[in-house]
Amino acid sequence: MRRLFLLLFSLALPAAAHAAGAVLVMNSGEASLSVIDMSTRQELRRIPVLREPHHTMLTPDRKELLVGDTVGNEVLVFDPNSFELKRRIPIADPYQIGFSPDAKYFVVNALARAQVDLYDPVTFKLIKRFPLKSMPSHMAFAPDSSAVFITLQGTAKLAAIDLKALTVRWIADTGPAPAGVLWNRGKLLVANMGSDDVWVLDPATGKTERKFRTGKGAHQLFPSPDGKLIYVNNRIESTAVVLDSTTLNQIRSYKLPGGPDDIEFAPDGKVWFTLRFVHKTAVLDPATGSIETISVGRSPHGIFLNSKATPK
Amino acid sequence: MIAAFDQAAGWLQEALLLPMLFGLGLMEWEDVSFGWALFAVYGAAQVSVTFAICVPLEQWRPVEQWANGRAVLVDVFYTLISRIGILPLVTFVAFYKLQVMLNGAIADQGWVPPTLERLIPALLGHQVVTFILYIIILDFADYWKHRLSHVFDWWYALHAVHHAQRQMTFWSDDRNHLLDDIIGFIWQTAIALLIGIPPMQFPLLILVLRFLESLSHANARLSFGWLGERLLVSPRFHRAHHGLTAAGYDSLNYGAILPWWDMLFRTADFNRSFVATGDPTAEEALATGSYIAQHSASLRRMVRELTR
Repeated sequence: MRRLFLLLFSLALPAAAHAAGAVLVMNSGEASLSVIDMSTRQELRRIPVLREPHHTMLTPDRKELLVGDTVGNEVLVFDPNSFELKRRIPIADPYQIGFSPDAKYFVVNALARAQVDLYDPVTFKLIKRFPLKSMPSHMAFAPDSSAVFITLQGTAKLAAIDLKALTVRWIADTGPAPAGVLWNRGKLLVANMGSDDVWVLDPATGKTERKFRTGKGAHQLFPSPDGKLIYVNNRIESTAVVLDSTTLNQIRSYKLPGGPDDIEFAPDGKVWFTLRFVHKTAVLDPATGSIETISVGRSPHGIFLNSKATPK
Repeated sequence: MIAAFDQAAGWLQEALLLPMLFGLGLMEWEDVSFGWALFAVYGAAQVSVTFAICVPLEQWRPVEQWANGRAVLVDVFYTLISRIGILPLVTFVAFYKLQVMLNGAIADQGWVPPTLERLIPALLGHQVVTFILYIIILDFADYWKHRLSHVFDWWYALHAVHHAQRQMTFWSDDRNHLLDDIIGFIWQTAIALLIGIPPMQFPLLILVLRFLESLSHANARLSFGWLGERLLVSPRFHRAHHGLTAAGYDSLNYGAILPWWDMLFRTADFNRSFVATGDPTAEEALATGSYIAQHSASLRRMVRELTR
């Protein structure tokens, strides 16, 4: 019986490995998307796109995966399981994209065009445009969908757009070249790429309440799936710093040379990073600190991980 | 090889450019700086490859030999600022901004911005073929830009900087008046906006094409043979364009990479062999002056032509 069990187990292994999912990486510098097998860590293929893919977002029903091609001026719609391209939607300069939690708006930060656009999330018709100087970069939503907060990288500001009144509620000062913004326990965290710190702001007024250091070139903030941790990528220091999301105290720091940018968390606890300047994706094991890298295309930026994907 | 170049660009970005931008308070341009790093590394590679091949070639089979090659030095300066320095940065930023703004406005109307792949959907997913088609179209556009620069006297006043060199070498390819380069940039941008231009998808192919353009100016007795010269512009073919009797209005062999357009529009001459180069109508400053002297002499000539 034991032998039979072992035989069955070994027969089941390849299938289990195959079902371990796939990762889609946006190669912004060479107009392609890399498909990586999560189990073998091998790049399976590259999907050509028109020009410059940057970020990605699941639709609220999680049935479709959107990829913004900024210079191509289109949003590509993929099946999130097979990574098959389903359709293309003309959208101006879709740099950073996101859906409001109530799924009422599809928000597009057009970084090069200095505008934030609100679209209908079903028809993708433009509802309202907010010209915002300059370089609208990252976004975070209030959990009640009352506002979206946009970092303005070129003017060192954070803008709050009221999603009920469809007006700009306030524009507040941040540190130089603000990039990532995150809603965390009723506060806004803004990573300042032009300095070495993260600022904590009151979402109601935009007033800065405190600042704390993470590392030179603080770029992007990502909450862990359980919400207990926040990863901050520091561009100049080439580190990923892990914070306690309650106290904002630094718990750990990992060295990640190559320009760490976007992050995805795998169910096995590993953390996947894109490394912009070395054309690689890194897989960090937070338990041991070990890092494995996988070669992808030039300037990988956005990343999407689906542990159940079976790409064709 | 691509991986090595990309790694060099990544190192340049991470070790030098980012700390510099951080120190200057310009971190919002970090994405653009990486684009420039790629251009600079590939530009340096272009210059190095061209140097490594063309220098022995020019020594092995020179068309002309000069006791004093000082006039060539200024062409080296033109090449370095054109391929590695400030020009790629300016054109990269300017073109990027323009393309995003105009195509974004088209997308706002619910239309798809023009690209060759949209015009011919079968090209989608065939990036090498598409890229070669882009090169053919851009070379065709360049033929007409070049030809017109010989037709209008005010324009030729600028272009004369390129033709005035009597000691033509592979360095002479980038010897262009800044204003002439800007006109060329606007010309190419207009075409690029009409058909779209892929980003640096195939930098090695660009490297080869730029090498061919430099090679066509080499001071070397090099021909590609009867068939080869009808497929690609050779040093022999392009030297005829730089000949003393081909300067100005009645010129020939305008093609930069492909001689096809000269053949099609009857401006090709395959018979002239390794003629002396230069522009007898150009003042001496254009031939042997410094970078600044060449630019100012050329501008004065343009003003004279415009106010004549």
